[in-house]
Amino acid sequence: MSTVDFLNLLVSAFLLAGVYAVMSVGMTVIYGVMKIVNLAHAGFLMLGAYFVYELFERFHLDPLIGVVLTYPAFYFFGIAIHWLIVRRIPRSDVPTTTSLLLLFGLWLVLQNLGYIIWGNADRSILTSRTFSTIQLGPLIFPTVRLVVFGAAVVSLLALEILLHRTWFGRSVRALMQNSESGQLVGVNVEKTARTAFGLGVAFAGAAGGLLAMMYSFTPDFGGAFLLRAFVIIVLGGLESFGGVAIGALILSLVETFSILVIPSGYQPAISFSLLALGLVILPGGVAGLWNRRQRLT
Amino acid sequence: MTETAKQKEAFFSGAARLAIPSLLLGVLAVFPLAGPGPNAIRLLFVSLMWVSCSVGWNILGGFAGQISFGFAVFYGLGSYAAAISLNAGIPRPLALLIAATVAAFASVLVGIPTLRLRGPYFAIATIGVSEAVRVVMTNLQFTGGASGYRITERGAFNQHLHYYVALILAAIAVGLSVLVRRSKFGLALLSIREDEDAAADLGVNPFLCKLEAHALGAALTGAAGGVYAGYSDFIHPPGVFGFDISVAILLMPTIGGIGTIWGPVIGAVVYGLIHEELIASFPEFHLLLYGLLLILIILFEPGGVEGLFEKLIRFARTRSGSGSHSEA
Repeated sequence: MSTVDFLNLLVSAFLLAGVYAVMSVGMTVIYGVMKIVNLAHAGFLMLGAYFVYELFERFHLDPLIGVVLTYPAFYFFGIAIHWLIVRRIPRSDVPTTTSLLLLFGLWLVLQNLGYIIWGNADRSILTSRTFSTIQLGPLIFPTVRLVVFGAAVVSLLALEILLHRTWFGRSVRALMQNSESGQLVGVNVEKTARTAFGLGVAFAGAAGGLLAMMYSFTPDFGGAFLLRAFVIIVLGGLESFGGVAIGALILSLVETFSILVIPSGYQPAISFSLLALGLVILPGGVAGLWNRRQRLT
Repeated sequence: MTETAKQKEAFFSGAARLAIPSLLLGVLAVFPLAGPGPNAIRLLFVSLMWVSCSVGWNILGGFAGQISFGFAVFYGLGSYAAAISLNAGIPRPLALLIAATVAAFASVLVGIPTLRLRGPYFAIATIGVSEAVRVVMTNLQFTGGASGYRITERGAFNQHLHYYVALILAAIAVGLSVLVRRSKFGLALLSIREDEDAAADLGVNPFLCKLEAHALGAALTGAAGGVYAGYSDFIHPPGVFGFDISVAILLMPTIGGIGTIWGPVIGAVVYGLIHEELIASFPEFHLLLYGLLLILIILFEPGGVEGLFEKLIRFARTRSGSGSHSEA
């Protein structure tokens, strides 16, 4: 493999990492505050993709504007789901079977609503950007990936500011570090959880929209990405936003470069292999790491 | 209540505990001889096959509290193993044993990395396993890949034979479930479900116990997959490794009552009978309905059918105001 090819792959891995981080960060926010693994994440990703698609098809709205619109739309959708279902889950410091089964059921409902509304045909969003490239010396950047990467970086920066500059962000971080102490100093858990859930769903929807600009999709679209998001937050250490970025980068690098050695039919097995590998290297798994940190505090 | 009355009640409830399952088994055993149509036998056959899967899943998911979304892996591997064995001319009981062994072996391979994870992390990892295995099986040349695998039937098709095989397996599954629940091993599993750290402090090896429960559940599910393969003569990856199989295996104990002996059995029968109708009338809605069902059960009756049943009995007792309650 020539140096140019190598650099091209490296760049595309970096560009992919951006959207992977947006996709996973919503799960981290929800997990951090509520200790719920949001299995319905896949459903929200899929709905985000179709939301942007419908805006594009019906109103000829640029998918980028569509993605911006997913944030408020899915924020309120998330709040509604929280009010309807999630707030009924008993609060707990560790993820419970109840929350898992409930959100799994929600995923099934969302996914199959998708099938009923849009059928199982492959959809894609084709704009003038989709097939164009930008040449920079020997390197070739697909325009759409650059745009997606840019949008992802802006989203992540906005989240960073939200978490570190606002009272909501402080509440979120306080609950992530220690739920009980957070309550003692006057954090409104219910309100914070509701907002955090909305925010997590908003990021899932936006990530779905971004992914839809790059790939074709069906209502089954979210499943593979749910697993990837999970691998990323596991690699990154579950409750750390910096860890999400690192995990996203690791996964995108492995996926991009494995194309060279692994037949494409086996590609979907990669994220799982990475998960298993991570667990063998880190015996005791994430929970072990988590416990070690708890013991330290 | 007097002492003798208490003993009497204990004796009767003990006898009832044995009598009802024996009666049920007897009825199911003579059922085909009463001459029902082939469709009725097929429905019962499918339900009995699901009973083995459901009870198997419950050993890990119900007793030990480790929710797995990946039991289709064992179902699929079992059906492929049995299909290949049957084609090689191996007699049916042995083929089912091979199916169970292959599934149990696979469960250990899957369990060694994933069972180190706790609760939900294990659950999500199992989604990954089942996706990965389905991808590999779709690409594997040896089993015909995506185009599936055909079993050459030797001799005429005998529906009754398949029915009895499924019945025996279901009986074995329920028997094993009872044995596990009453054994020290079963208590260890329950203690892991309640508090893994506390269980470990009391001398239980959580990892090993979970691995064993996983293997037992996988063996039962694998054998059920083998029974299905023997019946259907043709299997392909989306059919036996499909995500909806994993969903089904998880849904049945949830319907009936997770962690109980009879809940998974009831759930499997309810599911087996309803599923066939649903699939026929609303092919595109059935997963949506299962999702809704899951949400509703978890929100309103986490104990499933069995929980509902117990509530009804308690309600009836308080209404009638029986002596034992008013004395206390």
